Amino acid sequence: MTAATAAASAAKAEVAPVGDRGRGWRRKLAYALLIAYALLMFVPFAWTVITSFKTLPDSVRLTIIPEPFTTAAWEYAFTNLTPSVVVLFANSLFLATVVTLTNLVLGSLAGYAFARLRFPGREIMFLLVLATLMIPDQLRLVPVYILFNGIGLTRGLGEYVAVILVLAVSATSIFLMRQYFLTIPRDLEEAARIDGAGFFTTFWRVMLPLATPALAAVTILQFQGTWNGFFWPVVFLKETSHLTLPVGLTFFRLSGGFGTNWPPLMATVVIATVPILILYLFFQRYFVEGIAASGVKG
Amino acid sequence: MTGVAAAKPAARINARKEALAGYSLIIVPMIFFLVLQIGSLLLAAFISVWDWHVVRGPVEFVALDNFARMFSDPIFHQAARNTVYYALVWVPLTMAVGLSLAVVVNQKIRGQTFFRAAFYFPAIASSAAITTLWLFLVSDQGLFNDLRGALGLNPIFQFLGFGPNHDWIGDYRTALNAIIVLNVWTTSGTFMLFYLASLQSISNEVYEAAAIDGATAWKAFRHITFPLLRPGHFFVATVGLIGALQLFDQSYIAGGASGAPANALMTIVLYLYNALFIQILPGYAAAVGIALFVIILGGTLIQRRIFGSTPAW
Repeated sequence: MTAATAAASAAKAEVAPVGDRGRGWRRKLAYALLIAYALLMFVPFAWTVITSFKTLPDSVRLTIIPEPFTTAAWEYAFTNLTPSVVVLFANSLFLATVVTLTNLVLGSLAGYAFARLRFPGREIMFLLVLATLMIPDQLRLVPVYILFNGIGLTRGLGEYVAVILVLAVSATSIFLMRQYFLTIPRDLEEAARIDGAGFFTTFWRVMLPLATPALAAVTILQFQGTWNGFFWPVVFLKETSHLTLPVGLTFFRLSGGFGTNWPPLMATVVIATVPILILYLFFQRYFVEGIAASGVKG
Repeated sequence: MTGVAAAKPAARINARKEALAGYSLIIVPMIFFLVLQIGSLLLAAFISVWDWHVVRGPVEFVALDNFARMFSDPIFHQAARNTVYYALVWVPLTMAVGLSLAVVVNQKIRGQTFFRAAFYFPAIASSAAITTLWLFLVSDQGLFNDLRGALGLNPIFQFLGFGPNHDWIGDYRTALNAIIVLNVWTTSGTFMLFYLASLQSISNEVYEAAAIDGATAWKAFRHITFPLLRPGHFFVATVGLIGALQLFDQSYIAGGASGAPANALMTIVLYLYNALFIQILPGYAAAVGIALFVIILGGTLIQRRIFGSTPAW
């Protein structure tokens, strides 16, 4: 505190060499705090990885190097868990891929129509789409469940269909695509139209290729959102062989008898997180832009 | 003259073609929105005034009985208290941390991109993965208890009434606060990004003028940055509040649908889930959903009062 005030008053005195020294000292302290805080972001994940290579008695000890080092927890996760993490991984990948694709197709089609085509009722329908962002997702739980239960989507493979339908197109996807299409100059489109291209050809050949950054943002946002998603999967996926990684992880801990068997649980946490981590490392820009642009994440 | 007259029907045909193309592009997404969003909202209101059977549908019209039941249900009261407490503590805390991080990484510092990416990092993991890892860290024999022991902090915790092997989420007195800390940690990076977007809209000239007037960094923050960020505060507070009132994942992942331990983690949405899948009372669950909607609407309106008129975003 006194150091900070001293540095501040020294800074005011401008020419005093003490000021420079004070500032340097403060700068170092600031960096030390920043690095310490950044470490705080990573330590829990590092601890997860370390624990996954420990034995159960060793997992509750404050040691950084597993003693003994063992891959038993990983073998357990792959061979002894029911359902196996391989099944969970496949389910997560399947749902995330399908939901991403439906959002790309439906989002870009509707986004293009809302941005570029003139038709009666366009503004009111776009407002309606945006207004759904205000409806809390969980308010839809009872009606959607009753509806889907009535048409057989809460049993067997219908469980997957239910999750896909409820996530098939989000207002965010339409919004991101529309905003991007609005930034593309009209000249390009008109040139295509003069050459005799119809609306669909113009969309497919001219507009869509130009919208790659928006398509990438929707892909990242939807893939990550669905891969990590919890609410709708836990509502609809009741057969254990249908569970995704997040729901399966919770199932193991709550009812699968793995309450405090931490090493295999931590191995599963790593498996659930690594695909998104890889996406983040490669496409960090889109994560940040998508979040900043949409501003809608529960 | 004749040229214009001839062009008119052609233009009309073109306009009709364009409208047709427009409708055919939006019809599938609009069906989704009309049935699964708007329609389900109306259906929820309808179900809430019935004694509804999951398979057989409406059994008996009960008017507002489901709502009356909710108001006299002690577990719903607990859920509402927990949810409001969570929102009142978590939103300001996460805003404060997020704003601090944003102000720091907005400075000309070395490794700016790295720090931004690092602070956002916990937000990329799934709620299930991060909550499970948190349950491990703050369990009775977890890293947190080990570290405070190793650092010699146990006398302080002892003084506050927590033993050396306190189970932070297992004990109903600390469970919700442990979830708050978890979610501040995971979400402050997201709030940082929101605030950064807002900070970058403040022009540098304002700060230069302040520096000439001899304002210290703190004074510049207190009297320039903070007030000018009002649209940012409003946005972050609204998004945060709506998210907070929908707390579900962490509660369910930690204690299942019963809100264990001892209803400490029971939230409104968890109770909604509980009413549908454990009590199997769709009509009652729908009423809880309507109550959630009203609470969220009320909360955002109060917030609008606090932050003044709607900013342009």
